[in-house]
Amino acid sequence: MSTAVETPFKPFSLIAEVTHRCPLHCLYCSNPIELQRADEELSTEDWKRVFHQAAELGMLHVHLTGGEPLARKDLPELIAAARAAGLYVNMITSGVGLSEERLATLVDAGLEHLQLSFQDIDEASANHIAGARSHALKLALVPILKRYPLAFTVNLVVHRMNLDRLEEFIALAEELNPDRLEIAHVQYYGWALKNRSLLMPTQEQVDRSIPIVEAAKERLKGKIHLEAVFPDYYASFPKACVGGWGRQMMLIDPLGQAMPCHAAAVIPGLEFDNVRQHDLRWIWQSSPAFNRFRGDSWMPETCLACPRKEKDFGGCRCQAFLLTGDAEAIDPVCVYSPAHGLLTTLRTSAPEILPIWRG
Amino acid sequence: MDTNSIPRLAPGCRLHPTEPLLLVPEGTLNLAGPARDILAHVNGKLTVAAIVDTLLAEYSGAPKDEMIRDVLNLLNRMEQRGVVRS
Repeated sequence: MSTAVETPFKPFSLIAEVTHRCPLHCLYCSNPIELQRADEELSTEDWKRVFHQAAELGMLHVHLTGGEPLARKDLPELIAAARAAGLYVNMITSGVGLSEERLATLVDAGLEHLQLSFQDIDEASANHIAGARSHALKLALVPILKRYPLAFTVNLVVHRMNLDRLEEFIALAEELNPDRLEIAHVQYYGWALKNRSLLMPTQEQVDRSIPIVEAAKERLKGKIHLEAVFPDYYASFPKACVGGWGRQMMLIDPLGQAMPCHAAAVIPGLEFDNVRQHDLRWIWQSSPAFNRFRGDSWMPETCLACPRKEKDFGGCRCQAFLLTGDAEAIDPVCVYSPAHGLLTTLRTSAPEILPIWRG
Repeated sequence: MDTNSIPRLAPGCRLHPTEPLLLVPEGTLNLAGPARDILAHVNGKLTVAAIVDTLLAEYSGAPKDEMIRDVLNLLNRMEQRGVVRS
């Protein structure tokens, strides 16, 4: 499996999960259930080397995420190293613990884009979903952010508990006046999968949300760039998950394991190579985990014969495994999957009452 | 936007140092033809008219009317996409 064949794919972006530590405990967190320990995290020098290798490999963007990247004391050094390597530096943060002084340090170091997510329109509900008293802190941070020369994205994370308030939620985002607005439905991996029955919207909620998002896109054109991610549990064909396995991106987790996507660790038998032992070029070309679902040789007959494989690259392998127990199965989102009925059943099932917060 | 506008790149948007690419939040825009040269003069100081004059000096022989139309067309599209402001 691990022959050093030149892959025709060039990675665009690096997702750097610099820590799993986080002051928030969001019900929909996509981090793995087994969170990794702080004392085993990659060092500053490890990350510097990784950023350099990523740029050498032709990657353009690095997304600093976690967990909460602010939990790392060396964050300005990491940002400066990524910029020096030539990468575009984005940070996905809760904003908790981000003073103006610290923000100024990060911008000076080269931070170019900051993404802040909101959980709901009112404080009590937002804090409940985040498992932390963070809503007011986030709101207070926005006018400070607006004074600094970096792009600012507001991310509205939507699901059954807040989707009925989507219009008000968008209005709140407009007041915050970001450069970009993302409306993202929860994807059911990690902690979100544990809470799926609590979070998955009803068909009626999804149907009502679509024209609201379309109207907002039209209204905000030229002012705020809006991007929306719809829930693929309601689709008839799969998403091109991460742009196709091993085609566009690489994720490095806090321990240095290189993965093709956030959730890949759920697939049994996949072994991830570590940036402590290998450089990124070797990993991209030769790591068995990256080659496992590249191309179409792994695909079931139905997918092999289907012209959509050029668009969706076989959908999401993690979802196929999580829903059917077989990582090579047709993504159940697809109407041609024998397991598609699992999703049509879920769309009409009643919600659970008890939430499970991440550690 | 018109010839008196003073365009600038939106926060968090910059040209790739060597490739014909505009790096933007969560993406990369491919810059075809003269788009990179046009954006290289977008700095929040020059008017569109001044940018056109500079480009006319670089592309000798290009008709001015056509140049104005092409530059405004590109900048308006970039403004709609949220990566250029005026």
